[in-house]
Amino acid sequence: MTNPVPLSTPAEEPAAAPPEGSGTRARPHGAWRALLPSRSPKLITGLILVTAIGLLGLFGPMFAGDPDAISDASFQPPGEGALLGTTQTGQDVLAQLLHATRGSLQIGLLVGVMATVLSALFGILGGYFGGVVDESFSLLSNVMLVIPGLPLVIVIAGFVPAADRGWWTIAVVLAITGWAAASRVLRAQTLSLRSRDYVAAARVAGEKPWRIVSVEILPNLLPLLASQFVFAVIAAILAEAGLSFLGLGASNSETLGTMLYYAQNGFALQREAWWWFVPPGLVIALFGCGLALINFAIDEIINPKLRNTRAGLAEGGVAAGAAGAPGEPAPGEPAERPAVLTISGLNVVYRTARPVHAVKDVSLTLGRGEILGLAGESGCGKTTLAYAVSRLHTPPAEISSGSVTFHDRDGRDIDLLALEGEELRGFRWAKLSLVFQGAMNSLNPVISIREQLADVLTTHRPGMSAEQRRARCAEVLRLVGVDPVRLDSFPHELSGGMRQRVMIAMAMLLDPQVMVMDEPTTALDVVVQRGILREILRLRGELGFAVVFITHDLPLLLELSDRIAVMKDGEVVEYGPAERLYRAPEHPYTRMLLDSFPSLTGARGAFLRDGAAARHDGRTALPGQHTHLSEGAPR
Amino acid sequence: MRYYARKLGFYLVALWAALTLNFFIPRMMPGNPVDTLMAKLQQRGGTVDPAARRSYELLLGADTGEPLIIQYFAYLGNMLRGDLGVSVSVFPAEVSSVIGQALPWTLVLVGLATLLSFALGIVLGAVVGWRRGSWLDSLVPATTVLAAVPYFWLALILVAVFATALGWFPLQGGYDVVLTPGWNTGFLGSAVYHGMLPALTIVLSSVGGWLLGMRNMMVSAMSEDYVLTARAKGLRTTRVMTRYAARNAVLPSLAGFAISLGFVVSGSIITEQVFSYPGIGSKLLQGVQNNDYALMQGIFLVITVAVLGANLVVDLLYGFIDPRTRVET
Repeated sequence: MTNPVPLSTPAEEPAAAPPEGSGTRARPHGAWRALLPSRSPKLITGLILVTAIGLLGLFGPMFAGDPDAISDASFQPPGEGALLGTTQTGQDVLAQLLHATRGSLQIGLLVGVMATVLSALFGILGGYFGGVVDESFSLLSNVMLVIPGLPLVIVIAGFVPAADRGWWTIAVVLAITGWAAASRVLRAQTLSLRSRDYVAAARVAGEKPWRIVSVEILPNLLPLLASQFVFAVIAAILAEAGLSFLGLGASNSETLGTMLYYAQNGFALQREAWWWFVPPGLVIALFGCGLALINFAIDEIINPKLRNTRAGLAEGGVAAGAAGAPGEPAPGEPAERPAVLTISGLNVVYRTARPVHAVKDVSLTLGRGEILGLAGESGCGKTTLAYAVSRLHTPPAEISSGSVTFHDRDGRDIDLLALEGEELRGFRWAKLSLVFQGAMNSLNPVISIREQLADVLTTHRPGMSAEQRRARCAEVLRLVGVDPVRLDSFPHELSGGMRQRVMIAMAMLLDPQVMVMDEPTTALDVVVQRGILREILRLRGELGFAVVFITHDLPLLLELSDRIAVMKDGEVVEYGPAERLYRAPEHPYTRMLLDSFPSLTGARGAFLRDGAAARHDGRTALPGQHTHLSEGAPR
Repeated sequence: MRYYARKLGFYLVALWAALTLNFFIPRMMPGNPVDTLMAKLQQRGGTVDPAARRSYELLLGADTGEPLIIQYFAYLGNMLRGDLGVSVSVFPAEVSSVIGQALPWTLVLVGLATLLSFALGIVLGAVVGWRRGSWLDSLVPATTVLAAVPYFWLALILVAVFATALGWFPLQGGYDVVLTPGWNTGFLGSAVYHGMLPALTIVLSSVGGWLLGMRNMMVSAMSEDYVLTARAKGLRTTRVMTRYAARNAVLPSLAGFAISLGFVVSGSIITEQVFSYPGIGSKLLQGVQNNDYALMQGIFLVITVAVLGANLVVDLLYGFIDPRTRVET
């Protein structure tokens, strides 16, 4: 069954990945702490509300007088004698409220427990066993979900004579009509847990199913179960209040709902006896609110993305005084070509609890039409560098000092770190475009390829006619070897390689002078990867854009780039022509990176690379798993 | 096509389940509802003709010795023909005509209020999510208070403030009783005026849930690569927010519509009671209070069909909005 997805299904949300080089190293032993609710104001407020009302319900009735005692003091406003006033028949509202709170809490907890047990039973077992069991369980829960609960409860309550309508009857009916939503959430999570390695290992090891469920799966579901329980309690208290308000609650019960029923029927509204009908609803609202706040804290454990980082999606911040300082001339050999992008003394810091210096004093120069390789293992800060250069970094990342200058075709120098608002928006993509690491997910899944290409043109070239836009979109697709028929496709209809080509086509739409490519081919298989790289080289030759190519694959860069910068822990440890880097690596880390890619023939000399010449006349060979890159390569 | 067929199939199963529940509930309950009903009917001077008795027996079950399965199919036949029996409390009106009178009131009130609250919640949620970290975040706890407030209590408060104390709105009813219902401005104006407070109740109580769900999905969507790409493309912020982030974030809210709609409808039924609104919720309670079992069951079925129908529409819409559901999986 394709079914509606519950509002937040943790299983379907990828865990929040910290920006490269930020979180992972920052919290070596924070894993356990991350499991506990952070002591946010929300959680504390919630706990105070719930505890206070819980204590009122638990101990209040011991101190309150008889809630049913009738007196002559009808409709007394709050004051001496009756702290919260009296009802139509002169009963003490405070005494009634305390007893009613106890009654509502009792039924809420009872139903909460029963509904959670039911949902766990159906959700976890269905998710774990799969097959027919799962099919029928989830069909059952989906049907229960779409049949409106309260009307059903009302009908059932209507058939049971008032005298037989006991406390348990109501509780059971509410539990039976209230378990389905939670069951679906639990099922989804169980499905994802079931496919984890340790569960698979336990199954292979021949452990008994009940043991796997209770030892391997259940503990991981606890936060979710807790959150569903809290929901169930809120829902039960609300539903019971509704039923009682209609006069269909358990007979002889005293809950907040019955209080409101008597208030409504005792003309509290018409007599403006607010002290009679306001407090019961307020207690329900405050208790529900307290539980919901606690749920927030639990949700933040399950889905760390929801945690409130103080700063939102503001444009990448630049610390005061960052720009301006004229950088040192780039290390390595002076560029023969005129520069198109100069990075000097760039520092990027993640302002987290323990600040991480992700990019340290990086200075690089990108020549016009040059391919600059940026190599390093994951977490070395290369992606952070790329984001900072294009001003896409988001808080807590911050450029603390340095400068990035773009030397435009017309000779104008643009200080990238000083661009703001419309200027920055207009600069993006027009002069510098990007192909992202997660290029597989860089396309919006719900709008067509055509629209995603065309909106770049409508925004940046408002003068273009629809016909011109269509022609340009088709043209760039052809450039990367994708049939323009694909314009009407949606991303899910394309293969991974084709999506990547579309992204490259998109990056070329405005004929930018610089393209930053962050691991553009890492997720693709080798043959597709080769094809795309060949395409990039060819297009670079035809269109003359410069490329910053970021990857962990140093041999690939040796083949592709004019110059290479090797990054380690945020620093550029070696920067020079690809040729020299290959023949005479200076830094031990570069040597280590080179050695870590074994070749089939064993010796490192197997890299038959002949520098720029080989690349240009298309005779480049790579060792090992790589197929030939250039089109003319002998096979 | 398969997506639509599966959806349609599911709702047929759900409908069948509701009909079956409706058949078995009275049979599982203690007592003999048919006798209660007949006694009541006689009290009111109604004639007990055999056809009416037969119809009740099928609906509620009686010890006639007839096999359950025969009763079941005869019952299903009655339901499909729209024969829901005769109402006792409004004797001799047919249940279907009683429902027919009340249904438009509820459909318009609950339908419009739900649409309004959904739209409002989605828009606000998108904005609050987009501006995460700003002062707007303080709205989030506020919505939880609203969501935890019982509908009917909020209705009571609104009545106390705006009807009793301030006198801005009428205390109860669906229209001014001196007017005759019909398509004239006087009556329609009066109906809108009377509907304001009930609609406000439903919107206020349900908007928080939509808002919160949308906000959370927005926060998730904003960390997606396609949103980063959209920003890098130099698109205007409004476009990134709407076409890229919100367009994706709204999908789970739509998919979760079923769950939420159930809550809204349940809440609205009780709200109608507070306002003595001439809708289906008030009629349901009238049925319960008068042991008018046929009316009760008829209304339960109609509400269920309406909710299933609304969900089906949303699901079909979903297939249209999310291109991924249209492919075979």
